[in-house]
Amino acid sequence: MRRVLLMAGLLVAATGVARAADPGADTDRVERGRYLARAADCAACHTSEGGTPYAGGHPIETPFGTVYGTNITPDDDYGIGDYSADDFHRALTEGELPDGTQLYPAMPYTDYHGISRADSDALYAYFMSLDPVHQQSTQTDLAWPFSMRWTLNAWNWLFAPDDSDDSDDSDDSTADRGRYLVDTLGHCGACHTPRNAFGAVESDHRLEGAVIGGYEAPALTPDALAGRGWTASDLTRFLRDGRSPQGSMYSEMYPVFHHSTRYLREDDLSAMTRALLGDDPPEPTPLAAKSSTMDGQGAQLYLDNCAGCHGSDGRGVAQVASAMPGNTTLRLDSPRNLVKVIHEGIEARSFGTFERVQAMPGFADDMDADQIAALATWLRQRWGGHDDTVDTAAVEDIIGASSD
Amino acid sequence: MSERDRIPSTPLHVTINGRRQPVEDVPNELMMLDYLHEYRNLTGTRYGCGIGLCRACTVIVDHEDGTSEERRTCITGAHFFEGKSIRTVEGHAERDEDGEIASLSEVQQQFLEHFSFQCSYCAPGFVNAATVLVERLQREPVAREALEDTISDALEDHLCRCTGYVRYYRAVRDAVLATPGTIKEG
Ligand code: FES
Ligand code: FES
Repeated sequence: MRRVLLMAGLLVAATGVARAADPGADTDRVERGRYLARAADCAACHTSEGGTPYAGGHPIETPFGTVYGTNITPDDDYGIGDYSADDFHRALTEGELPDGTQLYPAMPYTDYHGISRADSDALYAYFMSLDPVHQQSTQTDLAWPFSMRWTLNAWNWLFAPDDSDDSDDSDDSTADRGRYLVDTLGHCGACHTPRNAFGAVESDHRLEGAVIGGYEAPALTPDALAGRGWTASDLTRFLRDGRSPQGSMYSEMYPVFHHSTRYLREDDLSAMTRALLGDDPPEPTPLAAKSSTMDGQGAQLYLDNCAGCHGSDGRGVAQVASAMPGNTTLRLDSPRNLVKVIHEGIEARSFGTFERVQAMPGFADDMDADQIAALATWLRQRWGGHDDTVDTAAVEDIIGASSD
Repeated sequence: MSERDRIPSTPLHVTINGRRQPVEDVPNELMMLDYLHEYRNLTGTRYGCGIGLCRACTVIVDHEDGTSEERRTCITGAHFFEGKSIRTVEGHAERDEDGEIASLSEVQQQFLEHFSFQCSYCAPGFVNAATVLVERLQREPVAREALEDTISDALEDHLCRCTGYVRYYRAVRDAVLATPGTIKEG
């Protein structure tokens, strides 16, 4: 009897040792998965505002209706608790659930298609390590014919890439790493690449800019970025801090900073910057001289409504209001984002640990389209390097589209 | 030519607390708060944060249709108010012939009775905001059950660093209840 007990003791000890060896490896993998989940910005859709991380519920507006991010915690009923690593990989990179259901392409599986199996497994390990949340996510509500999921098979046949990338390691060089972070994990193209009438990304116009939710997701090609005055160091800083001399992140870009880019390692941020601006970044275009003066309606609208925070010289106030000269929103060819920001304002935001920037009020109730046009024209001419005029009809078009 | 003459300026026409102000050239980039302090010697409107956050600097803009709204004077240029009529904290009490205060407005009286403020830095903004609210409720009464939420919605952007808001809140509630026509019957 004693012997038996002793044997049992040994067995326990042996298992104990085996277990002790695993957690180290597991912890590494889980940590890698946590980092990858941030790089892939999973929270942007799978976490609702103020909700439990990854328990789903964030609404994603698509041209065809609203899709809700699902619960990806390991809950057996409502989450991914019964997924195997293979199931997870298939959902992530092919958009297909274990029961054969096809996911809506709001899940960027066409971008995630290139996620390596090793990274998929790390992501799986991370999500499986979370506490399960027993919560059903809101059901998706799409317009016909997209409400019929079988139509998605046709969509996939037309638009989804074919081969899954089975390479184990995506980290062979900075350039590859950068593209992997930008195009695959970061799925920047999901917003910054235009889509066709079927909602599929037009891959031959990679990162050439698109309008999404009424705002412009600006072009991120090297020439477009340099044309708006971006340097590699400013771009890295923008991703890391959410702010740079060109302005701060707002609209749909803010959550990308909040959930994703602020967590990335410096070498990864540099790799992304290099993937965006190229190995030999074009010289940033200097800001053209001011072509508007301090006279007239636009100038007075600025002084009356904006200068209190942004300053009559446009220099802004640190931690309070962005500087205007060379601001990226003013330098964009289209006045869309400028008009939207004047009309709707910007919510209060925190940047980093110690910076909290108060809300910018919207002027929807104070300025009509004529006045917004005059103000936008003046701002673009003064600090955006433009010499054209924003006309009232263009403003009506932009704010009309935003107020439905 | 004095220094001030070289600053681009424009004549400003504004009515404050029911009186048309003398028309003067006012710098195009002057904020309204500075105009009130420096040109009109109305120093009751407070400069708190200067960035549109605390609302100590709030005044009332009266529209021709009888409605009114709050406006932050630290971030709004004086010329925004061209042709407009405003009320500042100095304009609420009734005054006698000598200009001395004869009686306070309902809102002011309630603030005093409830001991609503301590240092009073935020008080001018609260007086104006609560007055805008009471007047709005006279035009558009709410149900009694909706009053608490209505007060919170109307005043929640105003910051007070002393009092914890409870006494402000009670005072505004009592000011509303003491004003006829603000509550929908039934
Ligand atoms: S001083 Fe104007 S809002 Fe604070
Ligand atoms: S009473 Fe002191 S800030 Fe309100």
